[in-house]
Amino acid sequence: MKKLIRFTIFIGAIVLFCGCDQPPVIESSGKNIKIGVIGPFSGSNMAKGNSGLEGIKTAMAMHPLLRNGDGVELVVEDDKNEPELTLYALKKLIEKDGVAGIIILSDSGPVLKIGPLADIHRMPVLAALATHPDTTNQRDFVSQLCFDDNFQGTVAALFVMDELIIEKVAIFSNPENAYSSFLAARFANKFKSIGGEITESIVLRNDTTDYSSILSSIHRKKTELLYLPLGAEEVLQIAKALEEMDWKPEMLGSDGLLTTMLTQYKEYSGLLEGMLSTDFFNRRMPLTSFGKKALKKYRSLYDNPPNSYSVMGGEGYALMFNAIDRCKDPNDRECINRMIRNTVDFTGITGKITIKPNGKATRPLVVNVIKEGKLEFVVKVY
Amino acid sequence: MANYVDIALFIYTLETKHLIEPLQENSFGVKITSVAFDVLMEDPENELEGIEHLVVSGSLNVIKEILNFAMKYGFSVGIIPMNTQKDLIKCFALPRNKNEVIDLALRNSSQVMDIILCNQHIMLFQATLGRLPLMDSPSDISKFNIVVKALKRFVGLELALFDFTIANQKKIRTAACGCMIIQRHEGTLASKLISHDSSFTDGMISMLVSAPRSIVEYFIFLSQAIRARADRKKDYSTIGYIKSPWIDIESEKKLTVYVDGDNVTHTPLHCKAIKEAVRVNIGEGLREKSGKSQPVIERVNIDSLPRGKELLRVKTKKIPFFSYASEERFRDLFAALRIDARINATYLMLMLLSTLLATVGLYLDSSSVIIGAMLLAPLMAPIVSLAMGMLRQDEDLSKSSIKKIIIGIAIALMTAALITLIYPYESITSEMAGRLHPSLLDLSVAIISGVAAAYTKSYKEIIQSLAGVAIAVALVPPLAVAGIGIGRWDSHFFSEAFLLFGTNLIGIILAAAFTFRVLGYSPAIKGKRSIAFVLIFFVLISIPLSLSFKRIVEDRLHEKSWQEERFLVNEKYLIVKKAQVQDFRDKKLVTMDILTREPLNRNDLTQFKKKVQTHFARRLIININVIYIP
Repeated sequence: MKKLIRFTIFIGAIVLFCGCDQPPVIESSGKNIKIGVIGPFSGSNMAKGNSGLEGIKTAMAMHPLLRNGDGVELVVEDDKNEPELTLYALKKLIEKDGVAGIIILSDSGPVLKIGPLADIHRMPVLAALATHPDTTNQRDFVSQLCFDDNFQGTVAALFVMDELIIEKVAIFSNPENAYSSFLAARFANKFKSIGGEITESIVLRNDTTDYSSILSSIHRKKTELLYLPLGAEEVLQIAKALEEMDWKPEMLGSDGLLTTMLTQYKEYSGLLEGMLSTDFFNRRMPLTSFGKKALKKYRSLYDNPPNSYSVMGGEGYALMFNAIDRCKDPNDRECINRMIRNTVDFTGITGKITIKPNGKATRPLVVNVIKEGKLEFVVKVY
Repeated sequence: MANYVDIALFIYTLETKHLIEPLQENSFGVKITSVAFDVLMEDPENELEGIEHLVVSGSLNVIKEILNFAMKYGFSVGIIPMNTQKDLIKCFALPRNKNEVIDLALRNSSQVMDIILCNQHIMLFQATLGRLPLMDSPSDISKFNIVVKALKRFVGLELALFDFTIANQKKIRTAACGCMIIQRHEGTLASKLISHDSSFTDGMISMLVSAPRSIVEYFIFLSQAIRARADRKKDYSTIGYIKSPWIDIESEKKLTVYVDGDNVTHTPLHCKAIKEAVRVNIGEGLREKSGKSQPVIERVNIDSLPRGKELLRVKTKKIPFFSYASEERFRDLFAALRIDARINATYLMLMLLSTLLATVGLYLDSSSVIIGAMLLAPLMAPIVSLAMGMLRQDEDLSKSSIKKIIIGIAIALMTAALITLIYPYESITSEMAGRLHPSLLDLSVAIISGVAAAYTKSYKEIIQSLAGVAIAVALVPPLAVAGIGIGRWDSHFFSEAFLLFGTNLIGIILAAAFTFRVLGYSPAIKGKRSIAFVLIFFVLISIPLSLSFKRIVEDRLHEKSWQEERFLVNEKYLIVKKAQVQDFRDKKLVTMDILTREPLNRNDLTQFKKKVQTHFARRLIININVIYIP
């Protein structure tokens, strides 16, 4: 009997021992590799920058040392989401700080502006939130972590037609914002090609104020949905006008919109009840094992819940870190850029990410909705 | 109109000296002479000579001393209790208001009462000896406090031998935890448990004897005591009740006797009731009750106490956790189990028929035919016998049971395999598929069924319920599926179905053995080695079952999450409407209903498959049903 018990304990101990897969311990070399971070940390878009940086710091806490023992140092530059400031920040990071790579948390406009300079200096730039296809078109050193607007616009149009079964849509766009006009055009093309009707295409200017007359005209044409690839402030003006008119059409926004709304304009969330948006992340969606660990780490570091921006920041750092770690010389920018553009099935927070040699990313998109003031998950599109 | 005494002697102590003034200034015209108790004790004969009524206020011992004098000199007694003497107030139904209690104490309306002496000590309320679970608790104690007290007291509970002799010279030898002699039992939990035919002048002593044979019985008594109502009497399995003019108590060990809560004497104990010994002014409520007395007879209700051979068993140090089954039940069950363990022609025939029926039912995918086979299957009986054999280390019972089970298994496997060889069509029906993925849930079914099987087997009255158990656990159908696996030479088919049968077998044996132990059919687990062996198998079998259960849970969650997945394939939008995940050998088979607006070509399907395999498991077999959106 005793022998039997001993044998069972012995076998159990072996099973337990074999089951413990300890990661190798890395000793610090004392050296640091610099990674630049450009983003709007002040101004009207500060939610993107600050949340994104929180995500970066979370991922950094999870991966502090490269395999060779080098640490990572962040050099953070605020561009207020203004292209000129972004250009200035890039120059500083290249010439003064000598960073190995840059993660940029700004919109498509600023990223489009720095593309040529990044190519000239052969500086790998990973655009975490810029979805405009031209950010990577004709660029060798700018890569996207997010899906691009061809994918986003197409999915939005198909979602409206096939899931919402809506055929009459009015589109709003801002020609002063490259991202907005491209996405609006892409949506319109796809929607019309599948038999949808664009009741009106509204081109907003920065000085547009009379939303009521615009919306009244749209309402008369029996429009069922408003497609709004706009900034948060513009969408808020439209929502207020709709409330005054007592008209409640379906509304679909684009990436980051609802996150900004619930971060910077939470008091107006009631106006946006039921609004849909294409996005990168939702806390309710299934996460990868890396995503679950990152979420746990994030909660241990910050009081506020993670959002799309922090997720993209975290994934951006993890992917950049992975690329640097795969290079023999962690300061070899050519190699880092090559590795970024050779990322296949990298496990991000919400799913697998692949960055093609042309710098474009393949990653899932989610559709969110505001329900009772909270961001709820609707579907995930691969 | 109330009638008061003319003269009364007031006996007080230091604590009750303050009552002299209100008593002497009473408005009833009663002339009061006050004497301190210490002064009285210096020359009681002189002080009490010619006294007809005495009012006393002091400690319980002072009151008892006065009652002793009352027996001797024949005066009536009025009692003024102190605020702390709650038992006394309750016992004599005395008012709480000072003026009312003085009023009562001075009245000329005393009630004749018996006095109980325990080893010459006056007992007013109760005397206890040994460990008495709960009965001495107040009746108004909350249910929560009963439970707390009960939990404290069950530790170290033990039975000791007692000899009682009562007035008719009847001698009773039993074992008990303790006894409680009660005079006026109103106000204790014990009062809820005994009959209410006592009166103040019946010349009888009531005694409760507590004898829980096991911790389980003690808790059953606890639940009965909590639910007991004074107006609805019943016999309690752990309580004996004796009512007699006198009782002699002798215990195996010398036990301390607490009279009214004070440690004053020990066993052997002689208690006797002195009929109509004193006259006391009691409260109106009690007077009404005492007036309704009926003729009282001696009572002896000791059916629930250990007697005869049972006394030999109780000589253990502490009471066991589980009770022992009665000899009659024990004899009946063992006879039945030995018959169940024997191989006979009926068993062989039923095994053959039930397997034939199960196999055909599996091929027909017919639940009702399979249920018929379950009812016909005789395999449960030897498994239950084996459980008892292992529990009691009865080698004959174990060996014959094992032999019978093995023969049953062999018949089932061979029969099902033969039918499969004859039957040309190799289909996997849903009834077969349902028996190919055993999980922890099946083990739970086996355990519950094992408990149910042992329980129904133990009680002839509910034996008809065994059919339900047979349906729940379904022993033959998994064997038939395993046999089909042999016939098809498919090891996966065989191993999964046989794992299910093994799960049932192990679960039933362990659960049935445990149940028999709880029901008291074995004082201990004698066959420790055999049970340990089954337990190791239980642990080993739990590993694949846990993994399987985890897989099932994941699959169900996966199926749910699939409904939120969409795919953009060559600019075509695919909506996953429904998904079903199944294990197919070492891969997963996902069957999806896909909604789309445009026709899908081969390239689309290839792209779709690639996307699924990139973002989900690579070892997925994808099966899609395309539904077009009009």
